[in-house]
Amino acid sequence: MSAPCMHPSCLLLLLLVVCRHAHTNLVSVTENTTVTTEPPVETLSPITPPVAPLTPLQTGQKSVVLTGENHTEKVEVVNPVTLNLECVWTGDNKRLPNITGYWTKDGKTIESSYSNTQLQNDRYYLRKEFSIMSEEDLGTYSCIFGPKAKVDFILAAPYLGEMRDKPIVSYVGDSVVMICKMDEKKSKPINWNWYKHNGTSKEKIEVDSPGHRYKITKDEKKTKLVVHNLTESDSGVYFCGAVYGIGTSMGHMQLRVITYFEPLKPFLGILVEVLVLVAVILLYEKTGSKKENQSGPEGNPDQTSNLSHGENAVADGHSGTARQRKV
Amino acid sequence: MPAAVVMDKAALPLDGGWGWMVVLGAHISIGFAYATPKALSIFFKEIQGDLMSSYSDIAWISSIMLAVMYAGGPVSSALVNRYGSRPIVMLGGLMCGMSMVTASFGSSIVYLYLCIGVIGGCGLALNLNASLTIISKYFHARRPLANGLAMAGSPVFLCFLAPLNQFLLERFGWRGSLLILGALMLNCCVAGALMRPVLTPTQKKLKEQTNGSTTIKDCHIKNVKQFLDFTFFKDRGFVIYLIGNIMFIFGAYAPIVFLSAYAVSQGVDEYYAAYLLSIMGFVDMFIRPGTGLIANSKWIRPRVQYFFSFAMVFNGICHLLCPLITSYPLLVVYAVFFGVGFGMVFALIFECLMDLMGNQRFPSAVGLVTIIECVPMLLGPPAAGLLVDIYGDYKYLFLMCGGVIVTGGMFLFIMNMYHYHMLRTSADTEETRQNSTVDQGQANVSEVEMQAGPETDPSETKA
Repeated sequence: MSAPCMHPSCLLLLLLVVCRHAHTNLVSVTENTTVTTEPPVETLSPITPPVAPLTPLQTGQKSVVLTGENHTEKVEVVNPVTLNLECVWTGDNKRLPNITGYWTKDGKTIESSYSNTQLQNDRYYLRKEFSIMSEEDLGTYSCIFGPKAKVDFILAAPYLGEMRDKPIVSYVGDSVVMICKMDEKKSKPINWNWYKHNGTSKEKIEVDSPGHRYKITKDEKKTKLVVHNLTESDSGVYFCGAVYGIGTSMGHMQLRVITYFEPLKPFLGILVEVLVLVAVILLYEKTGSKKENQSGPEGNPDQTSNLSHGENAVADGHSGTARQRKV
Repeated sequence: MPAAVVMDKAALPLDGGWGWMVVLGAHISIGFAYATPKALSIFFKEIQGDLMSSYSDIAWISSIMLAVMYAGGPVSSALVNRYGSRPIVMLGGLMCGMSMVTASFGSSIVYLYLCIGVIGGCGLALNLNASLTIISKYFHARRPLANGLAMAGSPVFLCFLAPLNQFLLERFGWRGSLLILGALMLNCCVAGALMRPVLTPTQKKLKEQTNGSTTIKDCHIKNVKQFLDFTFFKDRGFVIYLIGNIMFIFGAYAPIVFLSAYAVSQGVDEYYAAYLLSIMGFVDMFIRPGTGLIANSKWIRPRVQYFFSFAMVFNGICHLLCPLITSYPLLVVYAVFFGVGFGMVFALIFECLMDLMGNQRFPSAVGLVTIIECVPMLLGPPAAGLLVDIYGDYKYLFLMCGGVIVTGGMFLFIMNMYHYHMLRTSADTEETRQNSTVDQGQANVSEVEMQAGPETDPSETKA
């Protein structure tokens, strides 16, 4: 995450389209993708263009210069927008004057998008305007130059911050806190929702469901779901959704509810092992010292205080052996 | 007098045989003592989420545990002196196990402070002190090696507990993990069972005497005196050791705490930065017994105090050079050298005290040393953190820690030279006085002690 990004595509991933005014034909072609207009704002902000007051629809632009064979660009969409996507290809060795280019959405070719592009300024251009109105319009849009070069634009609502991939483990009768966060840099959602997967579909969690076991807190960029009095049926996958104008961005996490018996089994196993080892060691010592005692008894009556577990014979035997084994 | 001397000669430490099992027991015991507070930090994020408190509040658990472990030193020494090591280590193991098990049912942060911090810390204090004491009883000629092997428990157990804790956390959550960790800590009882008591004849004689005559008041006075024996401060060697150690402990832990943060600030990936500490721990694991082996050699053993100061200076210089390092491969090299220096110092830290104090006084001495070391240990990392906050740069942290440690090492080196010089001159004058009275038994004793190691001579004549 914090490694220095040296690769140009890394920088590209961080750029988002900016549009304060209704520009439709601005193109800026530089070595890397650039933000097309002035002051860089991270997301498309809902500003109504002065020309059409009835449709508060935004326009955005995204331009990618491709020097290799393919490239992927992530575009975050917050609200409905008319998006102009442009692909610029520097071409290959052949430098044909004409190339066929077309667009696909999620792998399926858009029929009306076939066009012949000509070599201009030593580059090939493909442009198309897309209307992103709702969640179905999000997806992967690709511009393809002949069979050779491809740029993927992945349009999506802002992704949630890092989600736990390991399940949360909690115990019957305990309570658990599940947190979903949106990155500080991304725009804040309109609302947060929580869902639980009940085998077939997602079921929305309401705060005032019977039993008052759920508690949802919503901050601007963070939401918490607290479940009290867990039972085993609470195990499963939970979804948190960040609601934006364009759709909902989902994150998921898994909850596992177990009883106290599960960790108790290894606990008892280790306990037995400890008792067995202690008994073996002490018995070994006692039998060892009994043999020494039989061979040469020392007879020291007041050996009680220092030793526990009734090992008087041991001390006698041991001091005897020490004497015999000196140097 | 001669009769007692003959009996002492008969009860020389084993230096082998069952002694190696005792080293294993001490290894386990010391391993849990040092590794548990650090390994617990893996659970903190989960506990913080569940108990809804801040990270710094949770981090106090480790600090309280370490502080109580060190502060409990004198109590532990008194108990060990009275009852021997075995019951104390078994009691310590039981306390630790219980502390973790009760903590697993906790629902407030204060409850965790009490269970893990206080009770667990007390258990660990009993373990640490008793383990060190029994090594000094079982080994003399091979004591540095035994110490090195026992102290190696700390990095070995950390290496083993850290991934285990992670695994347990994912399978059982933090509550189940604490329960199972409690069971694992009961293995300290096994370690205690291995620590067969060694009863020398003079100790038996002492018991016969104390059982009958003394009044209750005398008993109490004697207990308090044993508890915190301030006469140690009159011992020049002890004071020198103490001052050097305080300086070392003050600067020792802060670089560990801030190493990965420093690496991240130099542009290293978080994942790779965490590796640095693992590298350091891995190197530490092998350096400790290795240092014990070196310290046991004919040339180093008499000069073990100088070797200790060399190790400290080496450690300090490592830290002083760290701000010059900005690339990851060089940071790895730094981590290796840090591991070497750290391991060398910790392998020798208690060996030197045993060497200075001798068997009789070591238990009380180590209790006093640990309770005093509590202060720099708790103050060191926050002071270093303050430097980072004020100057916004990690280099001052490393410069301060390195500087303090190098100063401590040089102080020990110079003052030990002075101390041995003074001991030699006083030993010479005493020998000339005693040679005038021809005593066969005395000559026998000097011969035996010379075989054991020339440098132990001065300390034993004091006892």
